[in-house]
Order: sequence, then structure tokens, then C-alpha cells
Amino acid sequence: MIEINEITKKYADFTAVSNLNLTVSRGEVFGFIGPNGAGKTTTIKILGGILEPTRGSARICGIDIFKHPVAAKRKIGFIPDRPYLYEKLTGMEFMRFTGDLYGVGKNGFQKKAEKELKRFSLYDWANELIESYSHGMRQRLIFASALAHDPEVIIVDEPMVGLDPIAIIMVKDLFKNLAKSGVTVFMSTHTLKVAEDICDRIGVIHRGRLIATGTTEDLRREVDISNADLEKVFLNLTSRA
Amino acid sequence: MNDVLTLLQPRIVSLKRGNRSAINLGQTGKLVLLGIIGSVFWFGLFGISLKVLLHFQGIEDIGDILNYKLLSMMLITAFALLIFSSILTSLSKLYLSRDLFLVHSMPVTCHKVFIARWIDSTVDSSWMVIVFTFPVFISFGLVYSAGFYYYLCSGLAIFSLALIASALGAAAVLIAVRVVPASRMKSIFVFLGILFFVVLYLAVRLLKPELLVDPEVFDTVLVYISAIQTPSSPFLPSTWAFEAMKAAATGAVADSLIHLALSLSFSGALIFGIILIADAFYFDGFSKTQTAQVRLIRNNTILEKITGFLPGPIRAYMIKEIKCFFRDQSQWSQLFLIAALVVIYIYNFKVLPLERSPIKTVYLQNLLSFLNMGLALFVLTAVAGRFAYPAVSAERDAFWIVRTSPASIRSFLWIKFFIYYVPLLILTEILIVTTNILLHVTPFMMALSTMTVFVLVPGIVAMGIGLGAAYPDFKAENPAQTVTSYGGLVFMIFCAGFIAIAIIIEAGPVYHIFIAGFRDRSLSYLEWIWVAGSFTAVFAISIVAVALPMRFGCKRLSAQRL
Repeated sequence: MIEINEITKKYADFTAVSNLNLTVSRGEVFGFIGPNGAGKTTTIKILGGILEPTRGSARICGIDIFKHPVAAKRKIGFIPDRPYLYEKLTGMEFMRFTGDLYGVGKNGFQKKAEKELKRFSLYDWANELIESYSHGMRQRLIFASALAHDPEVIIVDEPMVGLDPIAIIMVKDLFKNLAKSGVTVFMSTHTLKVAEDICDRIGVIHRGRLIATGTTEDLRREVDISNADLEKVFLNLTSRA
Repeated sequence: MNDVLTLLQPRIVSLKRGNRSAINLGQTGKLVLLGIIGSVFWFGLFGISLKVLLHFQGIEDIGDILNYKLLSMMLITAFALLIFSSILTSLSKLYLSRDLFLVHSMPVTCHKVFIARWIDSTVDSSWMVIVFTFPVFISFGLVYSAGFYYYLCSGLAIFSLALIASALGAAAVLIAVRVVPASRMKSIFVFLGILFFVVLYLAVRLLKPELLVDPEVFDTVLVYISAIQTPSSPFLPSTWAFEAMKAAATGAVADSLIHLALSLSFSGALIFGIILIADAFYFDGFSKTQTAQVRLIRNNTILEKITGFLPGPIRAYMIKEIKCFFRDQSQWSQLFLIAALVVIYIYNFKVLPLERSPIKTVYLQNLLSFLNMGLALFVLTAVAGRFAYPAVSAERDAFWIVRTSPASIRSFLWIKFFIYYVPLLILTEILIVTTNILLHVTPFMMALSTMTVFVLVPGIVAMGIGLGAAYPDFKAENPAQTVTSYGGLVFMIFCAGFIAIAIIIEAGPVYHIFIAGFRDRSLSYLEWIWVAGSFTAVFAISIVAVALPMRFGCKRLSAQRL
């Protein structure tokens, strides 16, 4: 579903991501964790087709994101960490906007949009301008719009930022259920508890290099600490790298 | 006072850093270019002022009176501009800036926040007016051989005038925001300001000011002199500045000091007054600004129905663009401005005294019609600079949606192009056809100008969209102002060059066709080749003007880092 081959991204002399190789299977929830400035957001942007790598390639559902960006992006539901939207559209209009862009059929759109807006508790606000939405509501609207075209891959940067506890629980369940139905979720997060709870596999990135991958158990084994939580594992991995 | 200085620190530091980073990024060329343009304008103003003042001084008996009147009028205009600019700037600085949440969350009293923001606003709203009024003051001093005191007095007088204008603007804003939320207030003030200038222009145009400088129309010279000698109101701060400068220029230092003291003491008192007002009203108004606006029209789906037949991405961008545009109240005043521009443009053609011209009327009418093409296209350039050029920057932080969507940047830009092309073409054709009808031009000129405009408009719109995409500013507080940036300057220069080349290429053959028709003879074989070659060249240049900027914009925007 997601294949990252030898990706390197340099900003002038600074290497943000170095020689990254990774494969995420269909129906897998993959968590990408690392300290600030480790290269998480750069990787997410590369996978979302926003940023071109200096070297390497990435494939989404077998489609090269840089050779065939339009076709690849059609498969993706992209959720950034900061919910910047068109302030002068209403929630429903924004849903229709993204629906049109992603080619959601006119007939099925209304039903689909209403379902997603209800799922994210935004239905009552659907006809209000986005400028009147709170940070969390905007974030939920992005989730709703990213799911409206039934993406095969979800790429999400810091999914829980700005969400209230109920929404966090809901999103965790949603990701698990989506994965069960075959959707691949690639998420970067600082919230290690979230990664531990929902991710099938976790990748630890530090100073642009992928220093460890595997299940939480695999990572524990790697640092040789049994029964430790992911926080301790993470600290151990990053301090010795 | 320390708190105020601390609050001003980010501005001071970013100013210093902004200059340094500009140099680091190798943008010295842009700064030099802008510096040259500014200097040319400044010295041009200086030269013109000096020439006009010297010319007036040479007029017997009334020369000095005219010069003083000119200075007085200039000060009144500067004062009005300062107030208008202050209202808009202080609205942004006090209520709409993005950093206000942070500033208001700090342990600093509200009036200190206000003082810091007001100082910031005063500098921003007045520096340009001050810089560009000085050439007039200097030339005035040179014409009247004034001493050092005059220049010192002029500096203090304009400084004081700027403080008064800024304080009055801020006071008006502080009080008004209590009634209308700041986000809406800005549009209202812009709207009123433009309305004021348009009404003023129409009033002046209808009064025929050219008659005022013609003493023959007055019954007697005495009536004329008394008319231009009428002093401005003694309660106007600009009058105090004028009296202080006039007295300084003539060596009456004591008289000058009194007026200067009056102006400075009033500005001091006014500043004290607005701090008191701010203490009472500022925070309350700031709180109100954060409440959402009430929408007047809801659930209007007409646009969705009209655009139902279009492919998904085109429909998506079109509906988004139109809805965002019309829901942004700051655009309304711009639309009003365009409507006023069209009315004034057409009116100017209506009042052209063609029948009094010594040149043959038919020739003049068609010559004007030909030149009118260039003029209308320059108007289009200004309008495109306001709407098409900022169209990409207007995506602001939401540009990530475009980058992650399954529509290419190329499609995105072409959709933007067509969204602006259609209304701008209609606008230009309205200008051309209406003015041609008023000029009673020949059918050939009518066909030529409508066709030329039809061919050139895409080039101008494409340069707007393409160069706007090549030099986007997604962080701009007001994307509409991005046309004043380096990219905007490039856009303006390219458009001017494009229009000039097209007009020059067409001028020769059009002249020959017109003269042939006028003398009732047919064109020679060579002339036909020239005509065909010229029009083909204009058509080819137009295609290049569309293709190159769009490709350049697409390439640069695709490489833009988010």
C-alpha cells in the first residue's frame, strides 16, 4: 500500500530525512514517532505529494506519487496537523468542494457527507461558516472531508492535536475499524500512548534516520527492556542513537 | 513605559532581521529596484513641485497667494490621507492582527497594549505620507529661500499632524468598534473612503476646475483674489501646520512658534485623551471582534445548480472562488471602486470637447478610439493586479488542500485563469464598446478595438495568474496587497510592455487602413501584407503572453515549499 524507497530530503545543507526505506501493508496502522525536528512531517509531506524528495521514490497503492501525483492522491485521505481551511465556506460547502475535487459522485455525495459530518459531530454546524468553528471543529471537519471519498490510504500528521477526549476515542476506534476494512493508516504523532494503543507497527525516526521499526514488543526487545511502556522505549532508543 | 517598549520589541527586531534576511537571500536586487522606483518618484515630485511653485511665484500680484494656497491645500490633503490611513491601519493593528491573542494574554495593562499598538500603527500609517510630502516642503523652502528654522518647523509640523491624525483615527475606531465589529468596520471604512474620493472626484469634475485658474471668467480680479485668499478653518490642525510653515518661510519665527506650539500641545492632549478612551473601550471592543458575524443569506444553492454540468475539480474551484470572494466584505469595496472607475472612465469620454478641437473630428474620434484601447487595457492591468494577481496568494494557509488534492497545479492555475478571464474580458469590452459609441467611431475601429482587446485580455490575465503563482505570498495578512510586492511590480512592467508592443505593432497598419478609407482608395498589395503580418504578430505575442507566464507560474508554484 505504501512503499518508501531510499528517500532522502535535504534543505540546503541540512538533511531532514536520510535514506528512508519503509513498507506499510494494506489494513495496517503505522505510527511514526520521533523527537521534534526528526523528519516526521517532512516524510508525511513527501507521502502526501506536497514535497519532492531530493532522492528516492514513494508509491501509494502501487502508484508513484511523483510520477503520477493525481492518480496517487486520489487514493489518499490527507490530514495535516494544522487545520487551515477556506474560512468563507460553510462546513457542508467544504465537504462538497473536496468531494468534487476527489470525484465523489453527485448522487452519493450528500448521504456520504452527512454521514461523515454526523460521525464527527458537525452536522448541526454544517451550514455555518468555517470562520466561526473552533480549532477542534476545524480538525474534525478535515477528518470528515478526508474520509468522504473512501480513501485507501490515510496519511495523518498529529491526528489528536486539538481534539477533545471524546473525539480522540472516536478517532482511535475509527482508525482501527478502517484498518480492519483494509484501509492503510500512516500517522505521525508525539502522543506515544496513542501510538501504543492503535498502531500495528511503529517506526522511530531520529535525526532523519529510521532507527527502529516493529510492534511495541519488537521495540521493547530491541532496547532490552521488558514490561516498559513505549515512552521508556522511545527515550532509550533516541538517547542511544 | 518599559512594558510598551517590550511590546514594541518584536516589531523592531523583525524589522532589523527582515532587512538582514532579505540580504542573505540575495534579494538585494529587488530592494535596489524598489529603492530606485521610490527615488525616481520622490525626485520627480520634488522637480514638479519646484517648477510649479516657481511658475506661480512668477505671476504678478497673486503668485505668492497661489503658492500659499497650494501649500495649504496640500496640507489639508495630507491630513485627510493621514486620517484615512490611520483608521485602516489602527483597525488592523488594534483588532485584527494575528498576534493580538498572544499580546492580550500577557500580564500587561490594556492601555499599555494600546499605546504600543498605536505607536506601531502611527509609524505604519504615516511614514509614506511624510516621506512624499517633504519634496513639496523642501521646494517651498527653496523657492522662498527659507533658513534652517523653516525645515525644522516643517518636520515638527508634519510630525505633529501625523500624531493628531493617528490619534483621531484611533479614537474613531475605538468608539466605532463598540457599535460594529472590527472585521466589518474595516470594509465599511474602506467603502466610505472610496465613496468619499469618488464623490469628491465627480464634484470637482463637474465644477470644471480648469475655470478656476482662468481669471477671465471672474467678474473682477478682486473677486478672484478674494476667492483664492479665503483661509481654511482656524480649527483645522492642517491650518496650524500651514500657518507655522508659512510664518517660518517668511521669517516670522514668533508667529510660527505659536502655531507650532498649538499643534504640538493639541497632539499631546489628544494622545492623553485616546489613552483614557482606550482604557475604557479597547478591551471591550477587542472581545466583541472575536464573535462570529451573522450571515444574512443562508443555504443558497443557485451556484451549485448553475455549475452542475462542469467536471468536478472545475466546479469545486469555481464555487469555492466565487463564494469566498463575495463573502469577503473587503472585496465589496473593491467592486464598488471598479464600478466607480467604469463610470468615471466613461464619463470622461462623454465630456470630451471634440467639437471644439482644431483637428478634424472624424480623425480625432478614431485616433482617440485607438489610444483608448491602450488606456482600457491599462485599466484592466490595474484591475487584474488587484484580483487576478493575488488569486493564488489568496489561498493562504489553505494551499495545502490544493497541493494534496488530485488536481494538478496546472489545472488549478488554468481554472483560476478562466474564473478571472471571463469577468475581466466583459469589463474591458464594456469599457471599449461604450466609449466607442460615445466617440461615434467607424465600424472598422469598433471591430478592431473589440477584437484587439479580446486577443490581449487573456495575456494580461495569464500574466496576473502566472506571475501571482510564481511569486505567491501565502502569509500575507491581506493578499490583495501582494501586487505591491516584487512579483507585482514584474507583473505591472510586463503588462505595460505587452500592451505597448501590441499597440505599436497595430498603429502603422491601422493608420494606413484608416487613411485609405478616408481618401476612398484601396490598400496596396504591400499594405495588405503589412496589415496581415501585424495582426498575426499581435496574435502570436498574445499566445506567448498566455503560455509563458502560466508555465512559469506552474513551475515555480509546484516547487514552492509549504
